[in-house]
Amino acid sequence: MATVAIPAAKWNWVPPYSQSRDAQGRTAKNLDADAQLVERCLAGQDAAWEDLVKVHTRRVYSICYRFTSSDAEAQDLTQDVFLRVFKNLKSFRSGEGLFVVWLTRLTRNLLIDHYRRTRMDRATESIEDQVKVLEETTAMLARTDGMLAGREASEVLQAGLQKLSPELRETVILRDLEELEYREIAQVLNVPEGTVKSRLNRGRAELARVLRRHKVRI
Amino acid sequence: MTCAELEILLCDYVDGTLRGEERTALESHLAGCSACAELAKDVAGVTAFIETVAPAEPPAELLTRILHELPTGRPAAEKRSWWWKLTGGPVQALLQPRYVMGMAMTVLSFSMIARFAHIEPRQLRPADLDPVKIWASIDDRSHRMWDRTMKYYDNLRLVIEIQSRLKEWTDQEPAPNAGASKQKAESSGQKPEAGTSEKKR
Repeated sequence: MATVAIPAAKWNWVPPYSQSRDAQGRTAKNLDADAQLVERCLAGQDAAWEDLVKVHTRRVYSICYRFTSSDAEAQDLTQDVFLRVFKNLKSFRSGEGLFVVWLTRLTRNLLIDHYRRTRMDRATESIEDQVKVLEETTAMLARTDGMLAGREASEVLQAGLQKLSPELRETVILRDLEELEYREIAQVLNVPEGTVKSRLNRGRAELARVLRRHKVRI
Repeated sequence: MTCAELEILLCDYVDGTLRGEERTALESHLAGCSACAELAKDVAGVTAFIETVAPAEPPAELLTRILHELPTGRPAAEKRSWWWKLTGGPVQALLQPRYVMGMAMTVLSFSMIARFAHIEPRQLRPADLDPVKIWASIDDRSHRMWDRTMKYYDNLRLVIEIQSRLKEWTDQEPAPNAGASKQKAESSGQKPEAGTSEKKR
């Protein structure tokens, strides 16, 4: 069997999650703050609702945008999510899990409903639009010689995510972009942790193939 | 270590949380399996690429839009006591902007109608609140209004025309009957009585 030499530099990098976990702020203090915020909301404090929306809008919008690739749809879905939170917050029990997991599960369910509802629209989406996106991406890559970062990388990633199946896409989004724990993703998707890891590997590998096809250096 | 086992541990390896024997076993498997090595390379590459991606920022107006759409205070209202629901609830509901606006428009409409109809509001006195006086006033006003309405109706040109046409028809109606009875009398050899038709008319 041929041995494949893996570049040493590739394996010496600092694991991304050991750095970004703190930046994400998923500390016990924050989780406590979430629980208190929920209690205040249930007590009928309007200011608490405002705080809750302020704290979690970014996360919900990000998940919706990464899944749908449309700013308008992501905005509408984010609004729907918070309306649903408002109606169903009483069903959240802090002892049974984290608010973030509950909120993400709610968002994911809404996204799946939306995905099923718009299946026909996507099927009839014009090929011209797809070709246009592809041309723009290729032009951008030619300009940057395949080395992307920031906003441009975001657009390329977005195009790549759309090529994944919904199961793989949501797993990659929740882990690599929203940085949820495997256990939390398993709770959100209602699947075992092993399935989460398997989907994540397949999703990442598929995404790598798509990016490579678009001449992105990874 | 098999390829299936590696697939489960690969996520932890990429995260940097895999330690000890498992890490060693995984690395030795990667060194001997090109398919797994390629998978690991792809997974690590994508993870590193996603790290460079800018976060998706919601537009500033989205927050305002959501807060505007959220109804306020509803979950707490359900916990309030029965007397609040009985008194405060309906009052609170009536004080919503749409109802207040509706009431304001109604008052404005009535005041404009009163102005155009030359209805002059005057100051109320205690004597005006006497029930007998109120009843007499209502009775008087209703009779006057009835008379005025009837007079107006009778004076309508259309009504007068219809009434005169109906009168003409009722006057003309006996004539063909009278002609028919005359013919019948002649055919039976009887002489019609003089003045019958005149009587009918």
